Amino acid sequence: MSLPDRIDPRPPRRIYRWDLDKTYLQTEFDSLRDLLRTAFQKAHEKQAVPGASALIRELAANGDSRLCIVSGSPKQMRSVLEEKLKLDGVVWDEFVLKDNVGNLMRGRFRALRGQVGYKLPAILESRANAPVEAEEVLFGDDAEADAFIYSLYADMIAGRVDERVLNQILAAAAVYPDEAERVRTAWKKIPVSDPVRRIFIHLDRLTPPAHFSNYGPRVVPIFNYFQAALVLLADGHLTAPQVIKIAVEMVQTAGHNIITLSNSFQDLLRRGLPLQQAAAALVQALEGPNALLQALRPVPDIISAFTKRLAALGTPPPPPPVQAVDYLDLIHHALPRTHKARKTH
Amino acid sequence: MATKLVTIAFDVMGSDHGPAEVVRGAAQLSLESPHIHTLLVGDRAVIDNALAETKHNGERISVQHASEQISMTEKPGEALARKPDASVSVAARLVAEGEADALVSAGNTGACVLSCARHFQLLPGVRRAALASVYPTRARHGDKDDPFSLILDVGATVEATADDLVTFAVMGSAYARIISRNENPKVALLSNGTEPNKGPRQVVEAHARLASLPGLQFIGNVEGVDIPKGTADVVVTDGFVGNVCLKMLEGVHETVVELAQYAYKESLRWRAGLAMLSGGIQRIKDITDWEQYGGAPVLGFDRIFIKAHGRSRSRAIANAGKVAAKAVSHELGKAIQQGLAR
Repeated sequence: MSLPDRIDPRPPRRIYRWDLDKTYLQTEFDSLRDLLRTAFQKAHEKQAVPGASALIRELAANGDSRLCIVSGSPKQMRSVLEEKLKLDGVVWDEFVLKDNVGNLMRGRFRALRGQVGYKLPAILESRANAPVEAEEVLFGDDAEADAFIYSLYADMIAGRVDERVLNQILAAAAVYPDEAERVRTAWKKIPVSDPVRRIFIHLDRLTPPAHFSNYGPRVVPIFNYFQAALVLLADGHLTAPQVIKIAVEMVQTAGHNIITLSNSFQDLLRRGLPLQQAAAALVQALEGPNALLQALRPVPDIISAFTKRLAALGTPPPPPPVQAVDYLDLIHHALPRTHKARKTH
Repeated sequence: MATKLVTIAFDVMGSDHGPAEVVRGAAQLSLESPHIHTLLVGDRAVIDNALAETKHNGERISVQHASEQISMTEKPGEALARKPDASVSVAARLVAEGEADALVSAGNTGACVLSCARHFQLLPGVRRAALASVYPTRARHGDKDDPFSLILDVGATVEATADDLVTFAVMGSAYARIISRNENPKVALLSNGTEPNKGPRQVVEAHARLASLPGLQFIGNVEGVDIPKGTADVVVTDGFVGNVCLKMLEGVHETVVELAQYAYKESLRWRAGLAMLSGGIQRIKDITDWEQYGGAPVLGFDRIFIKAHGRSRSRAIANAGKVAAKAVSHELGKAIQQGLAR
């Protein structure tokens, strides 16, 4: 038997793309004071959103995946952010930060707050180097334009957006010409495929979920990462015991309890997510031997709470219909919010 | 000390302003009070649509579908018999089963009280439940400088015995102590004179017994004129008289508002006068704003029930939920039982 002359890592089967602030980290930057505090925080002072690190670790544990982080935080924060991720046991493959100082020096003030001209080329360039068959799940938040950018990205590589519409979007989002050129160049390198399975939007600002209904069922607004884990269980990315591990971390570190978890579960069912089988798998896993469960309440209580929330609803509603996204109509979602708009949402 | 988690069931279908108003109130509560969870009972599709459009915290809200509802105009007994899956009935059952700790409804009062009577138990020593109501007064009460007094009963027990009146006094005192943070509330019997021997036989008898009851600050009889003055923190009477008093207070309030509107339209000089008084008028409006109180309790059951006004807006509903949660956290039922045992 001959050995191969090179040992390359296996190509990723799945790619998980994360934003950082308000998606992974509990960051406040609505005021100058918040910004300064965030800038001077040490790694151990930064707080992760409950369940986020556990979810990333469980997704990574299945192997064959890549974690790509594209954050709007400035490059100068790289060391402290990397230290925080290491403290949480998060291993990443790509970590892109925004060159805010460079933008400032070049007088590109629109780029300081604009997200489309920064994130869209970054994730397209990353995708250009990924295997065509790799599936994607994306995580963002409701503070900025994540739902818009991620959906546009998914529809661009799936061939559902044409160049004329893209150009109109880039113009409306006031993207600088060189950024627009990066978008077009990277896009052309990507073979047409439809890899994006889910886009999770962490409701950091508790934006009403209907705000995202125009993006269709691919976008799932979530109040917490237990909800993301349940959907990923239904989608086959996680197993039921892995979901329980995530729930346990949220109970142990963030004050979640059986009521908040069962309410979160019911909330997704009410929004038409097909989670009945996932619920059955979860109940089965809860009934099996699992030392982790000692951290929660007695197992019969958990099963009873989940079963009651399920039964309370009667017939499940149909899932929301798949729909085409009218990006030009939704362009206001992509523009930086004014202080007033942030307050009202 | 960590705040105890409390679940409040809301009968979503009863409000004059439609289910969405109750959902908005519960949604507001989910944002403001992390220790309060809400269980919304009613038409699930209607609730989900309203929730999807409203800023809320999904971790603190659950829904129980109920396919029927009872309108304000229906006869309570008949309606409850005809509609076993009515939202108020389902909500009361869930509270009785321990799925929630208290019930809030803005619906048909008779149907609410009857649902509670069917699903809840009366506290030991309580023969009849009492519907209490708050009303604005000139005097302030308790640690919170509350501008409201409590009157009970206002309609649940039309003819009260002396025993009932004594029980109402104990229940009203416990409620004022807990909700208005009034450590030693002044309790009075409503009569046609302040002398102990004035009034019908049951009032005279209740007076004698309350005067010797330990742990209760009984100040004797008060007359109608003392109600708006706020002479007592808790006014005790039967459901017939209490209801007449309450409706008269509401009528006076509406008449004053109508007179002000008339004056505003009638003459420029009067309008200018009203404009100059606007700060004071706003202040009166603020202190008599019943929405800040949310609702009135039905006292005497082993579970908490807060009856919100039919025309409650979301803020009043949210406040009714807070009042209910406070009554649960401070174990109102236990406080009433301790008062009755003395």
